[in-house]
Amino acid sequence: MALINSKDVSSEFSFEKEKAIAKSFSQRFQWEMILIGIGQAMIWLSLWPLVINGIIPLWAGFCIASLCACFAYLPSHESQHGNYSRGNPKMRWLDSLVGHITLITLMSPYEILRVTHMKHHAYTNDHEKDPDYLSAHSGSLMKTIKRAADGSSVSDYEKSLEVFANDKNFVNSYTKAIPIALLYRLTLLTLVVIFPLETLLLWWLPAKIGTVYTVVFFAYLPHLGTSKGRYQDTRFWSHWMPRYINHSMQLHFIHHLHPGIGHYDEPKAIEALKPFLVERGVPGADQIPDKISYNPLIKIN
Amino acid sequence: MLVEKFFDHITNWSKFWFGLIFLGSIINELANQSGMFISVSSLYLWTYGLGAMIGLIAKFRGAWL
Repeated sequence: MALINSKDVSSEFSFEKEKAIAKSFSQRFQWEMILIGIGQAMIWLSLWPLVINGIIPLWAGFCIASLCACFAYLPSHESQHGNYSRGNPKMRWLDSLVGHITLITLMSPYEILRVTHMKHHAYTNDHEKDPDYLSAHSGSLMKTIKRAADGSSVSDYEKSLEVFANDKNFVNSYTKAIPIALLYRLTLLTLVVIFPLETLLLWWLPAKIGTVYTVVFFAYLPHLGTSKGRYQDTRFWSHWMPRYINHSMQLHFIHHLHPGIGHYDEPKAIEALKPFLVERGVPGADQIPDKISYNPLIKIN
Repeated sequence: MLVEKFFDHITNWSKFWFGLIFLGSIINELANQSGMFISVSSLYLWTYGLGAMIGLIAKFRGAWL
């Protein structure tokens, strides 16, 4: 039977030991993420002159922009956890730079995503305090897609401003980002008057697709059917989709346990931590493959 | 005070303005490119009006979808 309470866990699987192993995977510089974050934003930006000047057709620009939008969130997610600066105050600018630039494609203000994501980690699956609760526990995949597409998931973040009204740091960071949100809106509404179809198909629709993709794979599937508690709020799951297409979100539970582990180091960390996860009763942990190499996480039902 | 009023207005009427400007521009471009409404005078009034109406409905419904 899986053990959950710390007092029931043998010293062999103590939190201290778990943390030490996790820390060994939390040191590497995340250069791949910086490349993806800045790279996709530059590709997306270059689509505008290419499409407007007729060098590539609009439909091709739309496909590339949608792909860029699906790649846009994860590099900012590493920024939100300070995984580029790794606690070095002199390098914090890098977190901020990558976080802001990569999110242009998604039309999302970095600071709002950062502070709400920190609350998501602190209060995962708490129906009042988790800003992602309604996206994760909407009741069905279709409801989650609809919520993400019609902007309800953004409204959830606005509501969290009321929930955490007494948290000065939260409110300050959130309000600091409101002008950026308005700037995005203003830019969109200006561009659409000048380049209507280009704005629709290079920015607005790809951003929607990227948002739906992000909400489904980051918020909905990893937390589906889970409860509250450090080892219970995220699960291991399998999917028909090769993990490189869904950003390996089957492994998202390790991120909730140890957010400092870099995304591309998570498979190795999970292999090392598997006995700890099974002992702690992480949902689905007993099904984690011993070796997470190319793609052992595919499951076709 | 004025800035606060402006932000309040933007917050409360964002769906309407989005419908008018964003959807209006898209509908107008599609109508022009289709060539089906070539005989309609002041087409932009209809297209932007339609966008504004969709935005207004979304505002009172409280959701787009």
